[in-house]
Amino acid sequence: MKPMPKALKVLNWITSALFVVALYLVLFYAPRETVMGDVQRVFYFHVAAGWVGGLAFLVTAIASGVYLTRGDHRWDQVALASVEIGLVFTFANIVSGSVWARPIWNTWWTWDPRLVTASIMELVYIAYLLLRQGVEDPDRRARFGAVYGIVGFISVPITFLSIRIFRTIHPVVIGSGDLSATGSFNMVPEMRVAFFFSLFTFTFIYATFLWHRLRLQRLAEKVEHMKMKVVSE
Amino acid sequence: MFLQETTANTFNYMILGFGVILGVIVFYLISLVARFRNLNHDLELLNEIEVDGRK
Repeated sequence: MKPMPKALKVLNWITSALFVVALYLVLFYAPRETVMGDVQRVFYFHVAAGWVGGLAFLVTAIASGVYLTRGDHRWDQVALASVEIGLVFTFANIVSGSVWARPIWNTWWTWDPRLVTASIMELVYIAYLLLRQGVEDPDRRARFGAVYGIVGFISVPITFLSIRIFRTIHPVVIGSGDLSATGSFNMVPEMRVAFFFSLFTFTFIYATFLWHRLRLQRLAEKVEHMKMKVVSE
Repeated sequence: MFLQETTANTFNYMILGFGVILGVIVFYLISLVARFRNLNHDLELLNEIEVDGRK
């Protein structure tokens, strides 16, 4: 395996430093929300994790489209790597939202449009991985995955818009939400700084993970190639 | 909540929330490292087999 590129090492350090600063801003710089108390601080990373989920699935859709157009296998690798990261962050988003909901909505879970659409989105992309595992031929696997990666992306805007279209108790912090939403709050300037810095930091975390995941993918292919070579000898 | 006069004490839920998010990220990081190690180990093994085969 090739040694880690210098640019990736630098990215690792930048991401780590950004994460420490983001933690400081979220835990100490942003003021405690008057009604909800400390649990409101979870919101900064909860939204940032959701943002990374959506971004990762968008990258998958774009990479899938490029793969279908050019037939370059590397784009299929990007799509796959991005789905895996998107699933991880969407899971963190859903579970952290559930933890926030317990003291604010007095329940861990409710069949609210946002919670349901986010869970369906997660399941759609778990199915993407299952589909790929079920196809033996690498070219067919990549083609099927690419088509699914594009079609499955429909679940992302539906999830984003669900709290803006349907009647919901999920708060909309940016833009106007439903009057029945519980847990809404107005962000003071310090909160906005912590919020946007968290989004920025999580975008860096995504980029760093994607690079590492792609290197892992290449290593796996190298091992597979070696296996075939040894077996054929 | 509309009738409360003081800020709710939700510190424990905050800890749990951050624990979940950081835990998931760290778990994924560990899984990446473990997969790298396993693959590197496999690659070394396959290289040895290939060298032995040539002899």
